[in-house]
Amino acid sequence: MSGLTHQANGVAERLRAADARGLNATLHWSEENLAAEAARVEALAGAGATLPLAGMPIALKDNIVTTDAPTTCASRILEGYRSPYDATVVRRLREAGALIAAKANLDEFAMGSSTEHSAFGRVLHPTHPDRVPGGSSGGSAALVAAGVVPAALGSETGGSVRQPASFCGIVGVKPTYGRVSRYGLVAFGSSLDCVSVFGRTVDDASRVLAVIAGQDEQDATTVDAPPMTLEAAPGSLRGIRIGLPAEYFPADLDAGVRAGVDRAAAALRALGAELVPVSLPHSAYAVPTYYVLAPAEAASNLARYDGVRYGVRRIGPAGDLPALYRATRGEGFGAEVRRRILVGTYVLSAGYYDAYYNKAQQVRNLIAADFTKAFAPGGVHFLLTPTTPTPAFRAGEKTADPVSMYLADIFVSAVSLAGLPAMSLPAGLSEGLPVGVQIIAPAFEESRMLALASALEAALGAAGEVR
Amino acid sequence: MTIGRDDILRVAQLAQLDVPARDVEALAAQIGRIVDYVAQLNEVPAGESAQPFQAGPARTPLREDVPRSVPLVRGVETFAPEFRDGLFLVPRLGAMEAE
Repeated sequence: MSGLTHQANGVAERLRAADARGLNATLHWSEENLAAEAARVEALAGAGATLPLAGMPIALKDNIVTTDAPTTCASRILEGYRSPYDATVVRRLREAGALIAAKANLDEFAMGSSTEHSAFGRVLHPTHPDRVPGGSSGGSAALVAAGVVPAALGSETGGSVRQPASFCGIVGVKPTYGRVSRYGLVAFGSSLDCVSVFGRTVDDASRVLAVIAGQDEQDATTVDAPPMTLEAAPGSLRGIRIGLPAEYFPADLDAGVRAGVDRAAAALRALGAELVPVSLPHSAYAVPTYYVLAPAEAASNLARYDGVRYGVRRIGPAGDLPALYRATRGEGFGAEVRRRILVGTYVLSAGYYDAYYNKAQQVRNLIAADFTKAFAPGGVHFLLTPTTPTPAFRAGEKTADPVSMYLADIFVSAVSLAGLPAMSLPAGLSEGLPVGVQIIAPAFEESRMLALASALEAALGAAGEVR
Repeated sequence: MTIGRDDILRVAQLAQLDVPARDVEALAAQIGRIVDYVAQLNEVPAGESAQPFQAGPARTPLREDVPRSVPLVRGVETFAPEFRDGLFLVPRLGAMEAE
């Protein structure tokens, strides 16, 4: 048996075990696909291809299209849909020798913060089954945290990788908007969506991000930026200034989360970095801004699911075309997606467009301007904040009140609105639950951000703060 | 702002979305809460920034407008609910045209 076949068999065994314990983190995987992946990578290696991810098993959030498995976005409306092409990120992973291992569960169409809004059932937190793994990329996060795969792709529209990474105690990296192609990522909020990466370690996540990054002629919003490089962790952070934004440390911040940030800050200081207070005053409006703009974009993007070209079809009582649209969409979408489509349609409708949508666009600009000012010459090189206000919450705790669920993303939304790179790094435990710290960098500074994170990861690990 | 039953039905019609009658009251309460919450954006002084935010590159690069084949591993007929002779099949349009 070849090494790659052995590797594929090992992944299958771990996926079976995860399914058996009811993690519900996967929507599609098969031994046949894994065997085919192993054979494909073996052939590439035999042909002498350079394979930076040779044999690395990677799970994909099920809103990233693949030809060899269905793509459902965890929605009944796309049940059984199979894409006729691979997403650019999938093509790049395959070319780099990765084994595409599984399609992971998510909040329906990536709308949620707990992975309780999947049409195929909620994902369990990998170590505390009564808790949520975060969302919307909760399946991908759970698979990495449970040790099934070393890395996975998720997607971020407003923190959907950093938040579950924090809840599950793993690394989650959101690149700059435009760094990674969105071709083949099912659209939710097109001005916000970013394919993003989970890893057990900073190194795992960095290697995967370096492979998927880069301009793509299939996505006109990708940028011809200097390529990402994999930089070693610096031995010293002397000369590096890191800002602690006052608005991200409210009085009611969970004590364990605050302790995690304090540990990270102390480790960075010990490495020679200077930590300074800064202010991002408009970040306080990030969640309401996000919950105008993202539903507005979603209402437009999801108009394509009408029962004509994709997935399921329901014939309404009138038997005509409008009835088909309404019945298919009414039955096909789940409660949270329906709610967001209605909010998005409301804020875009005549009489409300200026008051909500235009206003939110203006505030988005102010939020981004705060970051530009913080990172201006003479300012700071990075920002350090908590990733989430609390550790993973209990399943069902926030489903009755959508606004309470939205506030779980209070520290991650502003970065998404500003299009900046950021990541969550494990920083210890709060009453047994993982907590993460967020590092935010200027646009296209992923390489330096990841190098800083490697240094912090090593320092926290050496101090016994993080396993 | 109070969102009522009629608002939900009007927006649902605009969104081409059937909403079960039993859900309308609950949706009105939930969406009212969301709209009240996002209304805090009105606290932000107007006119500080007239420019809307631009995501991505300042200028969108355009590739040459040359027709070319799109590589698909299977035909479009495999993912449509009904497809015949190169056409997506849908119910008759008469009712819509009459509106």
